[in-house]
Amino acid sequence: MNAIDPRMHQALDGELDWDAVPAELRRTVARLTAAAELLAAPPPGLVPSVERRVMAEIRRPAPSRARLLMRWFVTPRAIIFRVRPAWSLAFAVVAAAVTLFTVGDQGPELAEHEGIAQFVGRFPEAQSVHVVGTFNDWRPGSIALKDQDHDGVWRATVVLPAGTYEYMFVVDGERWVPDHLAERLVADDFGRENSIVIVRPARR
Amino acid sequence: MDVRGSPPDAEVVALVLAGDTEAFGIVIRRYEAGLLRFATRMLGSRDAAADAVAESLVRAYRHLASCREPTRLRTWLYRIVTNRCKSHLVRRSVADVPLDDAPPVADPSDNEAALERADQLQLVERALADLSPDKREAFVLKHVEGLSYEEMAAVTGERIPTLKMRVHRAREALLKVLEDHT
Repeated sequence: MNAIDPRMHQALDGELDWDAVPAELRRTVARLTAAAELLAAPPPGLVPSVERRVMAEIRRPAPSRARLLMRWFVTPRAIIFRVRPAWSLAFAVVAAAVTLFTVGDQGPELAEHEGIAQFVGRFPEAQSVHVVGTFNDWRPGSIALKDQDHDGVWRATVVLPAGTYEYMFVVDGERWVPDHLAERLVADDFGRENSIVIVRPARR
Repeated sequence: MDVRGSPPDAEVVALVLAGDTEAFGIVIRRYEAGLLRFATRMLGSRDAAADAVAESLVRAYRHLASCREPTRLRTWLYRIVTNRCKSHLVRRSVADVPLDDAPPVADPSDNEAALERADQLQLVERALADLSPDKREAFVLKHVEGLSYEEMAAVTGERIPTLKMRVHRAREALLKVLEDHT
């Protein structure tokens, strides 16, 4: 096939006046237009409507509280401990001593299928930063990042079941922003971009 | 119910968010024909398309509050269906795309023009199924659904030059098939 005349694309994209399209090219344009019209025409035979199916689904009553409670109990969740800095320092000293004298050079004790995720974001003007994602059902407020030295860099370290999670930062409780330093970004269904973190098991 | 003359999208969205579940029927009747046609062209199967559109509409209803621009509801719905179709295609090899909506076997009462049209449609559908999903999506959104490049960018999350390139490549591939069968 000969090279495609770029005026064909210009004509089909509405960037070229129809009068400026040579007769030979008009036939090519008309051919593609006719092909598109064939595809746009209703397909032969009945196309079943999905209305009844969709409406039946959305009319179904919401799950009962008992069912929601049961679901909450069986869904894996991150557990976050918050302590005052003084206590955390004391705890760190004790933990270091225990690690040095009892465990040797081994890392922190994690369950077989757990790993550590570290979330770091730079938000110099923020008053609060939280991380939400598939690991906490996108619930704002459950995992807070801290800016201990007030340098605008917020951090949180979380123990999570090993897996791949989508997440975003929620700044000052209202602004949802992806972590552009994440391993990967993925578009969600709602026009936003989610970050991806892969938590690998600490012990294999 | 006739949806012509019914309230604009933003008003319907507000009704649904205020608790009027039945108002979502207006959204379905207004957009399901286009969404089904798009999904059918993407997946090559009417059954798979109906599943994808139904799942997408239920998802849209449940996340309606996150539709930031209700005036652009149509674009938002296409985006959800597009993503659903992509997930479907990832699970299935493109080479396996069935053509179960191919024209029915010719009836003796069909006239010659109708038969030729059915042959032509089958040819175009096969050429479309041979395109990569990205090019097929771009061509169908542009030429079958009649979206502008700006709307396509909102639906796919891609840049306009990227979409133009995909549409151009798709046109060239389709044209080659049509010329080879002349």
